[in-house]
Amino acid sequence: MARTWSRWLPAAAVPLVVAGSVAFAAQAGADELPERTPEDVLTLLADRDHQPYSGEFEQTSDLGLPQLPGGVDLPDADGDAAAVTAALEALTSDHGGRVLVGEQDQARVQVFESFGERDVIVNGDEVWVYDSDENAATHATVPADARTAPLDQQLTPDEVADRFIEAVGPSTELSVREDVEVAGRAAYDLVLTPRTDATLVAEVAIAVDGETGQPLRVSVTARGEHAPAFQLGYTSLDLAAPDADLFEFTPPAGAEVEEIAPPAQDQGRDDAEQVEHPEPTVVGTGWESVAILDAGTTDIGAEPLLAQLTTAVDGGRLLGTDLVNVLIADDGRVLVGAVPLERLQAAAAE
Amino acid sequence: MHADADTASARTHGGALLASELRVLFRRWRTWAMLAALASIPVLMAVVVRLSSEPPGPGEGPPFLDQVTNNGMFVAVTALVLTTPLFLPLTVAVVSGDTIAGEASLGTLRYLLVAPAGRVRLLLVKYVSTVAFCVAASGTVLLTGWLIGAALFGTGEATLLSGDTIGVGDAVVRSLLVGAHVTICMLGLAAVGLFISTLTDAGVGAMAAVAVLTIVAQVLGQLDQLAWLHPWLFTHHWLAFADLLREPIVWTSFTENALLQAAYVAFFGALAYGRFSTKDVLS
Repeated sequence: MARTWSRWLPAAAVPLVVAGSVAFAAQAGADELPERTPEDVLTLLADRDHQPYSGEFEQTSDLGLPQLPGGVDLPDADGDAAAVTAALEALTSDHGGRVLVGEQDQARVQVFESFGERDVIVNGDEVWVYDSDENAATHATVPADARTAPLDQQLTPDEVADRFIEAVGPSTELSVREDVEVAGRAAYDLVLTPRTDATLVAEVAIAVDGETGQPLRVSVTARGEHAPAFQLGYTSLDLAAPDADLFEFTPPAGAEVEEIAPPAQDQGRDDAEQVEHPEPTVVGTGWESVAILDAGTTDIGAEPLLAQLTTAVDGGRLLGTDLVNVLIADDGRVLVGAVPLERLQAAAAE
Repeated sequence: MHADADTASARTHGGALLASELRVLFRRWRTWAMLAALASIPVLMAVVVRLSSEPPGPGEGPPFLDQVTNNGMFVAVTALVLTTPLFLPLTVAVVSGDTIAGEASLGTLRYLLVAPAGRVRLLLVKYVSTVAFCVAASGTVLLTGWLIGAALFGTGEATLLSGDTIGVGDAVVRSLLVGAHVTICMLGLAAVGLFISTLTDAGVGAMAAVAVLTIVAQVLGQLDQLAWLHPWLFTHHWLAFADLLREPIVWTSFTENALLQAAYVAFFGALAYGRFSTKDVLS
C-alpha cells in the first residue's frame, strides 16, 4: 500500500505536460529581425507590394461600455439610428473572421457568427455582400478607383493600420519596441505615441510583418490602462494565393438579391454622399481634433438604447468610453473625439 | 519464451474481453432504446418540416432548418445541432457512468478482475467500448438524418454559411466532417464519465453526475465573467462545427477541439487509473 501514491503520478504529470506544451507554443521563438529605425519600418509598411494571402483575424474591444446584446433589433430602428446601433455593435462586440486576398482588386472579407456569416466579395468592379442570417445578397458594380468607403462595418487590420499611419504627423512620436510575434510571423512593433496629454489615447501599436511589411495587428491603449482597449489582428496568416473561385460569387438559389444601381458619374455620386453623410467640421489638429456633426433629422438622443448608454452632462448628453467621447449637444450637434469631455464642451461652446 | 506466451495470451485475452464487452453493450435494450431515441429526432424534425404548410424562412428555427428543403442532407446537420448540447451527451453519460460503477453494483466487478487481465486492461476495454458507443450514437443521428432527408426532400444543391453552393458529394463529405467533430467532442466527456464511474459503486449516481457536469460546463460557458476559463471547458467547441460549413473550411476550431479532448482523455484517463488501481474492490 505504501507505493499506491505512484499510481497517481500519471494524473499529476498530464497537467504539467499540457501546461508545458502551451507555454512552449506561446514561446516558440520569433525569428530575429534586423534592427530598423521607426522611419525604416514606416517605409517598409508604405512600400509593401500587393501580396495575396488568407488570414483569420480577431477583434476584441474593452471600451468600458456594457456589451450590447447582439442581434437584438431596436423597435423602429431605421436609417440613421440603425446605422448608429450597427456601428456601436461592430465596435463593442468581440468577433472574428477571415480575410482572403487574391490578385489585385480581388478580396473577400468574412465575419463569422456562431451559426452565420457575413461576406463582402470584391472582384474587379463587382461587389457582392451576402448575409447568411437573412439569406440576402446585394450586388453593385463600382469601379475600383471610385470606391472610397468600406462596404461593411468590418475593417481589416490592414485598413485600420493604414488609417493611423496616414494620420501620423508632427503631433506623433514614433518608436519601435522589441519584436513581437503575430500569427506566427516575426513583426516589428511600431508604436505611435501622441505628443499631447489632451487625448484619451495613450498609444497605438502596429505590428508590421518583418518580411512583407504587412500590418498584422493594431492595438489601441487608453490612458491609464495596461491592456489595449481595442485590438484587431490576425491569428493566422497564409501567404499562398487563395483559390480564384472564392472571388466568383453567385448568390445561392432562393436568396433575396438586391441590385444597387451604379453611380452615373463621379459628380453625381459626390452629391448623393453629401446628402446622406454631411461632412463633419473638424476643430483642432492631430490627436486633439474634434469632429462636429450638424444636427441630423433624427433625434439620436431620443433613442432608448442611446439614452441608456449616455449620461447627462453640462451642455448635453455624454457617451463616454475609454477611447472616444461622444457629446450629443443640447442643440442636436454631435461632437466626437478621442479627447476628454472638457475639450468637447469647449468645442461645443465655441 | 515464457514472457512471449504471456503477452500473447494477455493480448488475446484483452481482445476477447473487448469483444464480449461490445457484445454486452450492443445487446442491451437500454443501448438500443437510446439509439432509437436519438434516431427519432431527425425523423421528427424532417416530418414536421415536410408537413408544415410553409417552409421555414431564413433565420427561423434551429440553424440550417431552412436549408433542409433544398438538400435532405442538411437534416443530418440540423439534427446534430439539436442533439449535441443535451441528448447526445446524456446517452454518453449513461454509458460512461455505468462502465465501472455498474459492474460494481451488480457485483460482477470482482469476477472481471479475477482473470489475469488486470485493472488497466479492464479500464481500457471499458473506455474503448464507450468510444464505440459515441461513434454509434452520432452515426445514428447522421445516418437517419441522411435517409429521412433524402426520402422526404431529395438531394440537391446546398448553401454553405458563406453563401457558396455545393453539390451532393461535397455535402456528404461536410456532414461526415460534422459527425466526426461531434464524435470527438464526446470523447472527453466519456473519459470524465469513466473517472467518475470509478469513484462510486452506484451506477445511477455516476450517470447523473456526468450529466450534471455537462450542463454546468455549458452554463459556465455562457458567463462572460469567466471568459478566461472558456477555452478550457470540454464543451467549448461543441457547436463550433459551423466552421466546417464555411468556404473554405476553417480548421482552427476542429483541431483545437481535438487537442482539448485529447488532453481531457489523458487527464481523466490518468485519474481513473490512479483511482481504480488503488481502489479496494469489495463487490
